[in-house]
Amino acid sequence: MDNKAKPIKKTLIANRCEIAVRIIRTCKEMGIKSVAVFSEADKTAHHVRLADESYLIGNAPSSESYLNQKKIIEVAKSSSADAIHPGYGFLAENAQFARTCHENNIIFIGPTPETISLLGDKIRARQTATEASLPVIPGLEIENKDANFISKSSDEIGYPVLIKAIAGGGGKGMRVVNSSSELKEAIARASSEAKTAFGDERIYLEKYIEKPRHIEIQILADSHGNVVHLGERECSIQRRHQKLIEETPSTFVDDILRAKMTDAAIKIARQANYTGAGTVEFIVNQNGDFYFLEVNTRLQVEHPVTEMVTGLDLVKEQINIAQGNKLSFKQSDIEFNGHAIEFRICAEDPENNFIPSIGKLKNYRPPSGPGVRIDSGVLIFSEIPVYYDSLIAKVIVWGKTREEAISRSKRALEEFRISGVTTTIGFHRSILENDKFASAELSTDFLSSEYPDNNFSPLTIPLAEKAAVAMAINFYLNRQKTRIPEKNNSISKQRNWQIAYRMNRLNQTRDR
Amino acid sequence: MPRFLVTIEDKEFDVWLNEENGIFEVTVNGSNHTVISSQLGINRFLMLYDNAPNEVEIRSNGYNSKSNLFLSGHEINGTVEDYKLAQLQKAMGISNKPSIDKQLKATMPGMVLDLKIKAGDIVKKGDPLLIIEAMKMENVIKAPSDATIKSIAVESGKSVDKGDKLLEFE
Repeated sequence: MDNKAKPIKKTLIANRCEIAVRIIRTCKEMGIKSVAVFSEADKTAHHVRLADESYLIGNAPSSESYLNQKKIIEVAKSSSADAIHPGYGFLAENAQFARTCHENNIIFIGPTPETISLLGDKIRARQTATEASLPVIPGLEIENKDANFISKSSDEIGYPVLIKAIAGGGGKGMRVVNSSSELKEAIARASSEAKTAFGDERIYLEKYIEKPRHIEIQILADSHGNVVHLGERECSIQRRHQKLIEETPSTFVDDILRAKMTDAAIKIARQANYTGAGTVEFIVNQNGDFYFLEVNTRLQVEHPVTEMVTGLDLVKEQINIAQGNKLSFKQSDIEFNGHAIEFRICAEDPENNFIPSIGKLKNYRPPSGPGVRIDSGVLIFSEIPVYYDSLIAKVIVWGKTREEAISRSKRALEEFRISGVTTTIGFHRSILENDKFASAELSTDFLSSEYPDNNFSPLTIPLAEKAAVAMAINFYLNRQKTRIPEKNNSISKQRNWQIAYRMNRLNQTRDR
Repeated sequence: MPRFLVTIEDKEFDVWLNEENGIFEVTVNGSNHTVISSQLGINRFLMLYDNAPNEVEIRSNGYNSKSNLFLSGHEINGTVEDYKLAQLQKAMGISNKPSIDKQLKATMPGMVLDLKIKAGDIVKKGDPLLIIEAMKMENVIKAPSDATIKSIAVESGKSVDKGDKLLEFE
């Protein structure tokens, strides 16, 4: 341990579900006591049962519990926790919360408040990226509608360009322009559409990325100036910017592109004085040109795929860095082995526009076996509350090759049994059968172009037939039960006689 | 031999059951199968369908019952009727099938963000009716079938509880 190092003895995990469980596990392995916090809706949750101590912090809505900074700090102090791990979401990228932790002499396991606020601000983050000479998506705001200026700018950016409303959203005022001849008309239309839709005619012009891939670089930085990368993750299977499947390595990234992207990620980390684990996200076009998107200053949902191929425990590294230790390895010590894919299992109905499905888990039996890791936050009979994110478990699969990882994933997802709520398991199974997924022809519009009708796992005739038989047998057995009335149960006896009489009458009517 | 008419979505299955010592010889729409059903727990069965295992979670009640079942990751709703009874009722012009629910209820608590329809609108199955925010997500509630909107019971910006009436169909 280094001179500056301050060992952590007890960590409060300011989160819930699978990520809280994940962090508690590493704390236990490191001999660090864990403190869970929970809301009224999570009284019997998995993380509450696993921690060394668990504290109720408020009502079900997150604003009154998992986002209640004052209460969380209070619990940290009264339980003498010397550190807080925020997980992801909730308070993970809240610079002010990180500052409050420091002010209360509690280690915030994450970057400094300054770094969090710098990278959390889209404009300042873009500036920082430019300063670190990272490519950003070229674009400009069109303030004056001087035709020559706009046309010159578009030529510089390079076609196709995307015109969008500054106030915009929902595709309104958006136009893809393929050549300079279309430009003038497109700007006029977009501008008027923007004015009608948002009462603001200002438009923005940027380079249009066709079939973009989402590829991100995992970094680790200690407080002694050492920064390493742990390779990339491809997260192109998304729905409305929500990642659903992530994998590493990306088949699209060759050694040259990897060297460029990881170099860029390390540069911005240095520029932002980064400490801890972080992710630099890029948009990559089909030519392999990449553009800076943002830095996530926290542990990512998809971090396990990196753990599977590097053999590292990212939470352990986060804690080591937070204690003030130097990274215990150099870039050249990191080895990448095999291929890993993560599937997010959400309580949602993919057939029905991914509508959240709430209820009690009547059956819950996750898969296991070679190369399968489950990071799960629920147990059998868990209630899935309506208040939080619908992610209930992650299936992370490792294989020597992508092909092996895919066939193993098929096996694992087939094994997974959940009933009581509808989940995205069927959705993932159908993606695994998709030819374009198999050949890794990915882009962030994969889902909208491959499954425009959200028709992922339609009810097939053989399955409906089995269901019909199960229903008939169940009906038959229930009827058998009601036909043998219990002793002295005159009411049920009478009812059965009535039913029998009516049935008899009906049969006679038919015979007539 | 017990014979049932099972309806799942718009598909009808004519199911004959012949039970002997817990083993069912089943004929579904003319094809034969052997089924062994063993109880796993309350409402849960292991069904060996021509020796292929299927875990089934099923709930149903009473005569002419609606059944709700989880099988291979699908939640499937259907109705089971005594075949003769169903044929008779068909002949007599009585429909015992559950008609479309006249009311659309909230399946989860949330907030109404947007109404896509107004009273009197004619909608097609799958048309968006309203948008409810729940679990931090915007959820589009779609028309369960072709229908005409009779009345709307909620307003945009108001919160709803599970089971609250959202709107009525004609």
